[in-house]
Order: sequence, then C-alpha cells, then structure tokens
Amino acid sequence: MTPRFGRRAAGGLAVALLLAPAACGADDPPGAVGTAGAARTAGVDDGSTLTLWTRAATESVSRAYAEAYNATHDNTVQVTAYPNEEYPAKLASAAGARALPDLFATDVVFAPQYASQGLWRDVTDSFAALAVKRAVAPAHVRAGTWRDRNYAVPHTIDMSVLLYNKELYARAGLDPARPPATLAEFAQHARRIDQLGGDVHGTYFGGNCGGCVEFTFWPSVWAAGGEVLTADGSASTVDSAEMAAVFSLYRRLYEDGVAAPASKDEAGPTWLGALKTGKVGIAPAPSVWLGLIEEAGVELGVAPITGIDGGESTFVGGDAIGIGATTGKAAQAWDFLAWTMSDEAQVEVVAKRKGVPTRTDLASNRYSSADPRIVTINRLMAKGRTPYAKNFNASFNDPQSPWLRTVRGALFGDTATALSEGNAAITRSLQQG
Amino acid sequence: MSTTLIPIAAPADRPPPRPGSGRRPGGLRRRRALTGLAYASPTAALVAVFFLLPIGLVGWMSLHRWPLLGQPEFNAPANYTAVPGDDLVRGAARFTVAYTVLMTAILVVVAVGLALLVQQRRRGVGFFRTAFLLPMAVGFATASLLFLGMLSDEIGPVTRALAALGIVDGYVSWTSGSATSASASAVVLVVWRFAGFTMLIVLTGLQAIPTDLYEAARLDGAGPWQTFRRITLPLLRRTLALVLTLTITGSLLAFDQFWILTRGGPDNSTTSLVMVLYRKAFIELDLGSAAAVSVLLLLVLVAVNVVQLGALRGRSR
Amino acid sequence: MTGTQTTARRGYAVTGSALAILFLFPLLWSGWASVRTDTGFGLENYDRLFASANGIRPRHVLNSVTVSALTVGGTLLVSTLGGYAFGRFRFPGREVLFLLTLAILMVPYATILIALYVLLGWLGLADSLVGLSVVLVMFQLPFAVFMMRNSFAAVPAELEESAQLDGCGSLATLARVMLPAVRPGLVTVGLFAFVTSWSEFFAPLILLNSTDKFTTTLAVVNMRTASHGSIDYAALEAGVVVMAAPCLLLFAVMQRSYVRGFTTGAVKG
Repeated sequence: MTPRFGRRAAGGLAVALLLAPAACGADDPPGAVGTAGAARTAGVDDGSTLTLWTRAATESVSRAYAEAYNATHDNTVQVTAYPNEEYPAKLASAAGARALPDLFATDVVFAPQYASQGLWRDVTDSFAALAVKRAVAPAHVRAGTWRDRNYAVPHTIDMSVLLYNKELYARAGLDPARPPATLAEFAQHARRIDQLGGDVHGTYFGGNCGGCVEFTFWPSVWAAGGEVLTADGSASTVDSAEMAAVFSLYRRLYEDGVAAPASKDEAGPTWLGALKTGKVGIAPAPSVWLGLIEEAGVELGVAPITGIDGGESTFVGGDAIGIGATTGKAAQAWDFLAWTMSDEAQVEVVAKRKGVPTRTDLASNRYSSADPRIVTINRLMAKGRTPYAKNFNASFNDPQSPWLRTVRGALFGDTATALSEGNAAITRSLQQG
Repeated sequence: MSTTLIPIAAPADRPPPRPGSGRRPGGLRRRRALTGLAYASPTAALVAVFFLLPIGLVGWMSLHRWPLLGQPEFNAPANYTAVPGDDLVRGAARFTVAYTVLMTAILVVVAVGLALLVQQRRRGVGFFRTAFLLPMAVGFATASLLFLGMLSDEIGPVTRALAALGIVDGYVSWTSGSATSASASAVVLVVWRFAGFTMLIVLTGLQAIPTDLYEAARLDGAGPWQTFRRITLPLLRRTLALVLTLTITGSLLAFDQFWILTRGGPDNSTTSLVMVLYRKAFIELDLGSAAAVSVLLLLVLVAVNVVQLGALRGRSR
Repeated sequence: MTGTQTTARRGYAVTGSALAILFLFPLLWSGWASVRTDTGFGLENYDRLFASANGIRPRHVLNSVTVSALTVGGTLLVSTLGGYAFGRFRFPGREVLFLLTLAILMVPYATILIALYVLLGWLGLADSLVGLSVVLVMFQLPFAVFMMRNSFAAVPAELEESAQLDGCGSLATLARVMLPAVRPGLVTVGLFAFVTSWSEFFAPLILLNSTDKFTTTLAVVNMRTASHGSIDYAALEAGVVVMAAPCLLLFAVMQRSYVRGFTTGAVKG
C-alpha cells in the first residue's frame, strides 16, 4: 500500500496544484508565488469523495455537516463513526499503516498530541487566508497548534456549565431564576435540595472519570485565577491552593451524602442517565446535554461554573478536525473545512440544532436568541479555556492516568498526599516521549 | 488404545503401508513426505505470512523508537530496560499473575466438577450438558456486554435481587465499586463463558479411562474420593495439561473482560498486561515500547507452557 | 440401599438443576431485558437498535454473514488439509510447523494488529471483508488444526489402507474415506469458527474503515456510547440478543456433533 499510495498522493497533489492556477485565471503564470499561495489556500470542489472519521459521540453533528455540504457542493463527504473508547486505537493503526482518512475529527484535548505527531496536515497558510479566522474559537485553534503551525480547526463545541433542576429548586424553597453566583453558594443550594430527602440528591459528579472531573472542576480553578497546567503543557500544577479548595468542597458534599453515592463509581457512561432521572438538584455537566435532559421531561436552568468566591469560567471541549496527513485530496478536504467555519454552516447546521457555534462572532444568531440559556452558553466561550498538553490523554483522560489516581485520592482518600504525589506523577507523564 | 492429547505428542508410529505397490519403500516415503508437505502448505503459508512476518516486525520495532508517521530510530535496549521501572507495567504484571493463578484454579476445579456431574448416564444429563455448554455459543465481546448490563445498576437484576434479600443496601457498583468486586465480576464472566468448554475437554479425558479400573477399585472397597485421587486424577494428567495450557495462556493475555467490564479500575486494580500494552501502543503512541512488552510477554508464555508441559509429560505412566 | 440411592439421585438432580439454571440465567435475562420497556414489554429496544441513526442496518448483518462464511470456509479448508498432513503424514518440519501454529494462541491482538493492517494494505486487501476473514482464519488455526489433526490421527489405519489398495491417491482417500470419518471434528471446527468470527470485535474495528463494511458487532458496540457517551442499556441487551441468537441456534442444532467432535477427535481407539 505504501509505495502505490505515496505515488498516488503525490500525483493527486500535483494535479491539484496544476489545475488550481488555471481556475484562478490566466493573469499570474503558474508557479508564481501568488498563484501557488492561492492554490494552497483555496479549497477545491471538483466532485471528489472525501472520507471523514469521527467518534460515535460526535457522529450526529458530523453527519449534519456532511449532509448540508453534500447538498450544496460537488464534493461528497462520507462519514464513518467509531466507538469512543476505541477510536484512538483506530487512528493510531491507520496512521501506522499510512492510511489515514481525508478528514478526521477528535476530542479537542487530543489535538496537541496528534498535531505533534504529524497526523494532520499543516493548514497554517490556508487558515491565515480565512477572513473569519480571528472569530474562530481561539481555544480550539490553539489546541490544534504545534510549534506555531496550525493543524486543526474546531468541529464541535461542548462547554461545561451548571445545570440545575428548576422544579427541585422551587420545591426546596430556592428561586429558580437565581442560580448560584459562587461555588460556595452552589454547595449551599445543593445541601438545601438534598434535604428534600427520598431519592433526591443535591448534586452529582463523575468520581471515577478523569475526563469528567477535569471538565467540571477545572473551570472553578480558572475562575479563581488558578492554573492546572503550565502554558506549554509540560508541567502540572494541580496541587495549587485553588484546586485543593475545589476538591475539598466536593469531597465534603460527597461525605455528607449531598452528592449521590453513585458519583464515586461514575465512569462517564451513566452520567447522563443519572441527570435524566430528574432527581439531581444542580450539577456541572456538558452544555450539549441541555436538550437531551429536557427531552426526559426535566426543566433545566443554566448557569456558568463559578469559582469558590465568584468568577466564571468554562472548559471549552468538543471536537477539533483536521486533514489527514496521508491524504491525496488536501485541497478538497480544505474546501469542506473552510465551509464548516462559514456563516451558513455555523448558523444553519450548528445553531439550528441548538449547538454552540465555533465562531465567537455568531454567538448571538437568529436561532440562539429564541432561548436565553443558549445565549448564556454561547457567550461563555469567550471566558473559557481549553487546556493544552501534548500528552494530555495519557496524563488526564485515560482510565489508567495519574490524574484519575489523584482525583480518587483527593475525593475519597488522603487529599494532601494525593495532590502532591499526583502532581509529580502527572508532570512526569506530561514530559514523557 | 492410548490417548493423544498433548500437542507435542506425535501420532503413534504406524508401519508403512504394505509394499503391494511394488515401489521401493524409500521412494514411497519421500512421495508421502512431499504429499504431506503439499497438504500442509496452506497452513504454512498463512502462518508464515500472517503470523511470523508480523511477529518479526514486532521484534524489529521493539529495538527502535518507532513514531507513527516518522522515521524509526534504533534505540535498543532502551525499550526493554525501561520496563522494570514502569509502575503501570509492574502493577499490571502483579495483577495478571494473581488473576491467572486464581482463574486457573477456579476454572479447573469447576470444569472437573461439571465433567464428573455430566459424565454419568442419568436422566437430564443431556440438558445439563447443554446448559453448561450454551455460553460457549456467545462471543466473548458479546458476553462481556451482556454482563455489563446484568451487573449494572440501571437494568441489572443482580443488585435488585440482593437488595430484595436484604444483603445489600442501596447503590452498589459491581464492576467498579471495589477491587474485589471488580475482579470477581471478571472472574464470574470468564467462568460462565469457559467452564463448559473446559468441561468438555475434561469429559473427553474422563471417558478415556477404562471403566474396569473403576470396577476394580470398587471391589477393593475404595471410596469415591480415593478413586478420584488414585485413579481419575493421574489418568487425567494429559487432559489437565491441555486445560492448564489454554487457561494460563488465556488468563495471561486477558483483555476483553477488563476493557469492557471494569476498564482496568477501580484505581488500576484490574489493569492487565495486555491493557498496558494497548495503552502504550495506542494512547502513548509509543510503538517501540509496546513491542518490547509484547516480546517479553510472548517469551514468558512460551517459557511457562514449555515448563508446564514438560513437567506434566514427564510423569506419564 | 434404595433410600441412599434415592437421596443421591435427588441430590444429583438438585445440584445439576441449580447449576444449569445459574448457567442459563444470563442468557434468559438478556432476552427478557431486551424486550422490557418503560411501560412494560415491547419491541421498541429492537426498534432503536435497528432504526436509530447509528444502529444496525441489513448491510451490517450481510457483512457479518459474509465474514463468517468466508472464515468458516477458509478455516475448514486450511485445517482439513493441514490436519490431514499433520495427522497422517510424516514430513520434515512437521513438528516445528505444528508448534508455530499453536503459538498463534500466545499472541494478543494488540501486538500484531498494526503490522497486519500494513500487511493487508500491501496485499491490496485493506478495508475488505476478504482481508478480515483471512486474518480471522489465521487466529482460528491453533484450535482448528489441533482438532483436525487429532481427528485424522484417530481414524483407523485400515480405512486408509483399504482405500489405497483400491488405487485411490491421497486426495481421493481424503475425500472418500477420511472426510466422512472426521465429520464430527469438522462440525466442531466450523461451529467454533462461526461463533468467534460472528462476534469478533477488535479485528473488524481496526481492519475495516468504511461504515458499509462494518459488521453487526461494531454497530452494536457503537451504540454503547453513541448518545454523547451514555449507554443505552436496553438497546445494548437487544444487540446482545441479536448477536447471540444465530450462534445459539446453530449450537442447539449441531450440539450432538459438536460434542462428538471432541470425544472422537481427542481420543484414539
């Protein structure tokens, strides 16, 4: 496969480069820097078939993008989704065999690793030529950057927010229109609701899931001005005072039974189900679950995640997407990517389905204004962060990661040792390889 | 009448066919050898191309720092020397060995027990045998998903039944509540799935034991336990060798049950060696290191099987 | 004497039944759970399984059938020829080849999957059901060749010799005389190959790329975490039933041959 593929790839690119100047007009002779630049940065829509890989959790959005694009362009994008847990193995195998798809999306926290490994093509020039580039979710763009070159652009945005059950709020005597403004207040509200008794619980979290905890706890650290990582992702600072304070708050909630006992073993797959029961008062959760939980008949309010004494922040998660490094259709693939960042795609595909647009200048659009909660969520993107580290997955998300051990120790074991030893272990993991 | 269950044992030598064809025996033997080679060639081709070649590549990779898309650099023996210092590998090795010992013991005892039960020619034995064998018809990934649902809190009957009996109170997570329950979940899954198959192997070994030996023992006044210890067990030696080989190899290479049921948790208490291998290759993207662990694992398996088969073979009557 | 005999018999029946129920319980429960809905019983879990956006399509079932058929066919072919060779011929390298075949058992998937992926690419079999089947046949070889070798070795020499006296070459001997004699072994090997290839998960995941080539198992596991990472347990159990049903059916039908495959195959005389 390697020799044939390589030749085909080179051939395809050569053809694309030759044809593009002709399409641009006869003013510049082919080979001139200007034309070559235009050829590199412009997308090509010539009826090619493009393969796009995505995770099962993101499949519906990827398909929506693809359908809308296919309906209005000559190129055809074919989406294949893989089980979430096994997706990294799938990508690694394809890369090892030099057979990556034309496009692939991945959890944004994986982006620095894949960019550093060269799994995506360098799209710096193409991206720089975009008129809207400054409005494209800066946190995601940074995640897809390695050594000042861009490799990925945002695909979906999923932010962490506080979701609270308005009915339980009312029953507990709290004002459903006034969510907590500080994390301390959040704890108070949770305790009030927990006193309703029965099988109602104040709050819920993913105590056996590193990804869930980082998604929901870190914004509180950022809101208080703290850090969890150094800017280049080479060392961890989870033993900071702010992080310790947040852990301590949640730990007390768990020990007092305010957080549902199932939180201790929640590894992620049943998190949504727990919130759908309508028996949880207020909990930090992915913003994309707003619609899903309301479908189960629960009336929800949305509030930003706050620091212990105030402030707001969010973890800007979701998926990033890039062009597979081994593809022969880079120009066509870029045509699709550039289109996904256009007004039309962001408003008609993403916002219409109540998603968060990847463009900050489209936070208020004709669909979002219908629901003020959506506006709240969209506006958070400007205050949120996406952590950046090459070895993020192995250090934080993976079930065998040192971060998960730290979390378990801090919440259910000896907090001080867990944080200090964990910090050292995480730093070692971040610096590996 | 001899049993031939040990893989290494060759079929008993038979005298060459009667020289009725009038050809020289030497030529005939050579022709038969060539015919045999011809019949074995598809197997040889598959083994050579799809097994030996990849294994060779893995061995080669273990001597390099092997990035996914870049150029590999030779770095032997760095991948190997890093293994003993790797906490995750050490923990996984400890767990995998402990799990292997536990699993093998349980499976052998259960299989022998079931085989003794089913060996007798009584009413209903066909039904029992079917019941024990039926789990074999379900793929292992399928079985793992089945247990995931069965042990879950959402729709599983286990928690509900035990709560009704008053044994547990409220919420219990079997697959991630504690190291013990997580390991136990995996063990129960494997026993359920493989006890029948193992029972079948033991059964065939049992049926090879001549019944007159049992008669003689009974006439001598031996009780059931004595008969078992003095007659059944020794004659089952070769069957047990096969069972041990399969169980030990399978347990040392265990992956699916932990990946699907417990995800190596809680707190890495059920992380197996192959899970660590998987993590090295696909999460840390360190193919060279993963290859090194693979090679070590393969060597251990070969050594264990050689020792084990040798020990059991040497004591044949 | 009769008293203890009856108690012994009753004890046997009770123990046996209790164990049988324990073993059958998970399968029965899974069938029950798959038809259980919020409002009682119904087929809506199966509906979700098949109709949802990332559910099973007839295409997937067809792919699973294709892969299983190819794997069973390939395994039977290679292991019959190989078993015949190992069981009844002597040739140089026989022991070595046999041991190497068995050694396939000692290697986990994760180890050689990338290498296999590359290899299939070189052979032009990347992302193909045929390539996947070849790999699955290879993984079946240890058990299949072992079983067939023992089955062939257990055939009495007289049968083979009488065929030869009739003037049959080795191929004709194989077809006319040996194959019928090892039929139970063939059934066992075929059944085993079917069950394994039908529910195989990891190999199709890595070696197949296009959704329209996916097997049923992949589609079901995709359902596991489709809705933003949350498990749909009821649909999952429906998926388990769909995956297990053909295997259970085949097994029930072929059970006697399967058991006989072991008893006649593994024991000579």
